[in-house]
Amino acid sequence: MFSLATIARSYTFSATKFLSGCGLVFLLAIQPSIANSEPASGAIPLDVSEILEKHCSECHGEDEAEHDLDLSNLVGTLRGSKTGPVISPARSSGSLLIQVLAKDADPHMPPEGQLTEAEIEKLSNWIDGLKSDIAVGRLKLTEADKAYWAFQPMGASLPEDVFDPSWTVNSIDPFIVSKLSKAGLSPSEPADRATLLRRVYFDLIGLPPTPAEVRAFVNSKQVDAYEQVVDRLLASPRYGERWGRHWLDLARYADSGGFHNDINRPGAWRYRDYVIDAFNRDTPYSQFVREQLAGDELKNATAQSWIATGFSRNGPSNEDNMGKGFAKEKYRLDELDGVISTTSNVFLGLTLGCARCHDHKFDPISQRDYYSFLAYFNSAEKQELMLSSFSASSPKLIAASAKPPKEAYGMVLTDRGKKYRETRLLWRGDVRKQGPVVAPAVPAVLSKTGLKDSENSTQPEDLQSSEDLSLRSDLADWMVAAENPLTWRVMANRLWHYHFGRGLVATPSNFGKLGAQPSHPKLLDWLAIKLRDGQSIKSLQRLIVTSATYRQSSSADEAETVKGSEIDPENVLLWRMNRRRLEAEPLRDALLAVGANTNFRMGGAGVKPRVRPDLLVASQRNKWPTVKADGPQHWRRSVYVYVKRQLQLPLLELFDAPSTTHSCGRRVRSLVPTQALVLLNDEFVRGQAMIFAQRVEANAADDVSSQVELALWIALSRQPSDERIRQGAEFVAMQTDALKEDGDKEPSLSALQDFCHVLMNLSEFVYID
Amino acid sequence: MNRNIVPTAEEERASLHQRRRWLAQAGSGFGATALSWMMANESQAATARQPGPHFAPKAKNVIFLFMYGGPSHIDLFDPKPELDKWHGKAIPVFRKEDAFMGKTNPNALKSPFKFAKYGESGLDISDRFPELATCADDLCVIRSVHCESNNHAPALFQMQSGSLMSGHPSMGSWATYGLGSENQSLPGFVVMLDHQGAPVNGAMNWSNGFIPASHQGVPLRSSGEPIAYVRPPAGMTPKRQRRQLDLLAKWNQQYADKNPADEELASRISAYELAFNMQRQAPDAVDLGQETEAIRRMYGLDQKVNQHFGRNCLMARRLVERGVRFVQIYSGGNVGPSAWDAHDDIEKNHTLHCAETDRPIAALIKDLKQRGLFDTTLIVWGGEFGRSPTAEGGKGRDHHARGFTMWMAGGGIKGGMAYGETDEFGYHAVKDRVAVPDVHATILHLMGLDHEKLTYRFQGRDYRLTDVSGKVLSSLVG
Repeated sequence: MFSLATIARSYTFSATKFLSGCGLVFLLAIQPSIANSEPASGAIPLDVSEILEKHCSECHGEDEAEHDLDLSNLVGTLRGSKTGPVISPARSSGSLLIQVLAKDADPHMPPEGQLTEAEIEKLSNWIDGLKSDIAVGRLKLTEADKAYWAFQPMGASLPEDVFDPSWTVNSIDPFIVSKLSKAGLSPSEPADRATLLRRVYFDLIGLPPTPAEVRAFVNSKQVDAYEQVVDRLLASPRYGERWGRHWLDLARYADSGGFHNDINRPGAWRYRDYVIDAFNRDTPYSQFVREQLAGDELKNATAQSWIATGFSRNGPSNEDNMGKGFAKEKYRLDELDGVISTTSNVFLGLTLGCARCHDHKFDPISQRDYYSFLAYFNSAEKQELMLSSFSASSPKLIAASAKPPKEAYGMVLTDRGKKYRETRLLWRGDVRKQGPVVAPAVPAVLSKTGLKDSENSTQPEDLQSSEDLSLRSDLADWMVAAENPLTWRVMANRLWHYHFGRGLVATPSNFGKLGAQPSHPKLLDWLAIKLRDGQSIKSLQRLIVTSATYRQSSSADEAETVKGSEIDPENVLLWRMNRRRLEAEPLRDALLAVGANTNFRMGGAGVKPRVRPDLLVASQRNKWPTVKADGPQHWRRSVYVYVKRQLQLPLLELFDAPSTTHSCGRRVRSLVPTQALVLLNDEFVRGQAMIFAQRVEANAADDVSSQVELALWIALSRQPSDERIRQGAEFVAMQTDALKEDGDKEPSLSALQDFCHVLMNLSEFVYID
Repeated sequence: MNRNIVPTAEEERASLHQRRRWLAQAGSGFGATALSWMMANESQAATARQPGPHFAPKAKNVIFLFMYGGPSHIDLFDPKPELDKWHGKAIPVFRKEDAFMGKTNPNALKSPFKFAKYGESGLDISDRFPELATCADDLCVIRSVHCESNNHAPALFQMQSGSLMSGHPSMGSWATYGLGSENQSLPGFVVMLDHQGAPVNGAMNWSNGFIPASHQGVPLRSSGEPIAYVRPPAGMTPKRQRRQLDLLAKWNQQYADKNPADEELASRISAYELAFNMQRQAPDAVDLGQETEAIRRMYGLDQKVNQHFGRNCLMARRLVERGVRFVQIYSGGNVGPSAWDAHDDIEKNHTLHCAETDRPIAALIKDLKQRGLFDTTLIVWGGEFGRSPTAEGGKGRDHHARGFTMWMAGGGIKGGMAYGETDEFGYHAVKDRVAVPDVHATILHLMGLDHEKLTYRFQGRDYRLTDVSGKVLSSLVG
């Protein structure tokens, strides 16, 4: 969960508290897995526990656990005291518990008295006999846990019910129709062609169609005109900019580090460009996953696949103030926690981060699962990859620091050249409370997938000496294995979510018990299998957007609306298309597009458009420059706007751009008056309205009605009604007169600007039907 | 309804019908569809339900006076004569790991200031606060606060959001989420910065974290445009804009009429009306020209040293009068000497910042009292931590997290009392220790919110401002 902790340079504050920031509030009604939790298997053998009872229990027993050390049971004994573990499983000589018993030990235990050699030997033998990765922190998985829908193998199936072949277009539709008809609902009419075109343009490339494109499509007689449009949009470089942005939400992308100095990351954008490029190339999803998790370990690694590991570098970080010693280690683990949480959220729809300090309260994920998963990443370090002379065999790497390299580099995570770092379970997530050693392994509940899981894994001996660890590629292989029940479902659901505004599982990053249940489980599996077998995101999207389900109108007829609102008010069953508001980026891009004003330069360092100087007050570290006036160099698509953690571009932030601290699988959609204020009063918006007006003036016939008609065409991508043209012309005339009276030098142009400005504020402009 | 098409309990809660009911209850001047600043129509709908209040509040509003940088408890509210005796000598409680700066040594540094007892309560207050001292019987001084980081960035996050890490909602966000706003045309959570800039972490300090953006702290300025974008661009007169808005409303209404089931479209029309009203209301709220000369002087607006902080305090009173729920004022901007971060010279630094704030704070207390607002407005004073009893360099003090002072006044808190103690050096909080979540729990309690019930579900978990701890300091509640 925690992307990161900033650490005091030196302190010994309660780390328990620090980590309990997990913020979990117990919901008393639902705590199924707590009772199942069985942290340690077995007990202390009787002869050993008798010795401990006799000599130690007075101070370190259940009732009186001095120094938090409770030697009355196995769990407490393995957990150790508040300063750390007291036994090292399988190694009595290295165990504090044994060391303090020696006659000349200082400190010596018990404080008064001395254990016999025979007693000490018994204790030692017991410790030596423990497995070094003694089974602590395991969950007892119940049948119900294993039977949870998301962990089941995907099933290939078609809905049983007969459906209406006249309505369905492709295999998606029967799944939808059969559920609708069971609920007594029916799908809506197809959207009209102009509406559909605008919808699919914004969906696939994040830009509106031009009037010419609308006319061509509306008038086309070709039966596959729509499919042709879809193919063209999927092939457009604009597509990667739109869909890459969705992925960047998930990956916590930003161009600065946040925290104290909000350090600039001049290498970050290479990951952003990698993502855009991957979508444009339709990189097979398996490869996309592999590159981001282990692009440094691949056989055919390239500079790009290395840069892809930047997925794990995007979180906030505090390079200039990481602390020392214990604090530094804690910081490292906090940052890794962000990586693990993000990775499990994004690829698996699991909230693994919840199990850092204790077993997951709702899902069958143990603390052991968490640390076993951590073990895949624990040897890797944050490094910068120099790009001037990339060589896969000997890449030039330097450790990440507060001062980014001056030359071209990519931010990577790699264990290249590093030794294996042993991972221990940490009690309550506290780095000072070291538990047993764990090996890299995947959550036990997913053991059916044929991989080593945290229950059955043992520490491979050769890891310690291995030069090439390849841990994360093991993990990536497992992620993309055909039998993984989560990976394909999660990604297929994400695509659906972005196309319909709501996933088949409404919580795209949480497939656990507190997430939503799937509305159409069979469809979800069908799509997931398609993705798995075809590997092509674009193909799956093509299927989705050409379905009759997607092509429905967003407003059903009145009778159907009444019925639908009663039976399924949230439109979960999709008896109509969802109306969606443009997210921050396509909204800004649309404001630029109506003036035909977008700078389509792709890639490279993020651009910093003008922010009013009085709003720059919160930007004192890694300062945003004072830009006197915006120009074409700033009018790039929003995905290329520099993402500064401490000061996001206000227009984007106001329309719910993600915070970048946590992975964002589903954007919030807030509605506040300041959104109206920024669209009314922001100089950027006013400026674009003027450019839009000038475009209209230059391209329309020299009469107000023609200008109004063209402006409406451009803004809303459809033929305006005569009534609207009349009302618009009336407004322009009235505004021109008033401006003349006010002494405006170009009253008709200013009036047209005001009209264009109104259009940019229209709900029809901001929403997709 | 089929269970498996209802995704989660929270979405169920927020179903259309309930949202409608709530909209109707909330009431406002905008006809059928009410919309206040707080009543954003969130698509995620996870929170379209206002959770509080849980019981009758004592404080309707909060003004948090945030002394950024870390004000010194031992020089202001927690006198330690032992430091005089130990001056220049290593104190036994010093621990190297508590020091933030390398220049800090274990030797005590006596306070350069004099303390005296004030009011009927005989509360100890430093001579740097002569005006505030006249309000001694209104203050509830908590001398045993401790926090978990001695570094600005995480400590700021903790004091404001309960978490040492970024990304969690600030206290003001929790308050407006819990209680909504009383003013339709002003944000419920307002932030005012020191004229020298923002604290480190910038806007992340007043972030809404993972709860909806409508609960974000909104920076308000005392000069120029009070709220960003609230002033129309040059040449845009109210009449001209009104005509734009009339056409906009007409066409947006047509669109909303065509889609009557979509309440968001109706809410959006209201949002534009609110925005138009805000353009009038926000400048009015910050128009200190409406205040009498006597009041302006009372806050020190005629004094160079007081004018900036004084303006913010006076604006805070005006905002509270208008129903703004949570006002956060920072003293101390950017870094170093411009904040309370007295590494180099405690006497010089605190003399300045006390002088800047003393009179305005006292004026705020008295002004709220004379208007009958003191009992319903909670004032909280404090920083992200305190300062070390030991010396940094020759005459500075380092960050100190193990024991420090905050105070509260008004809003249902007892006045004229000190609670908790630090040890004889002012190093460790030793008696009635107060952790940051306890402070938060108490503030929420005074606002009528149960800190254990005020939760928000995010990524599968229910979060609280107080996480898994926090206890209400009930002996301080009047």
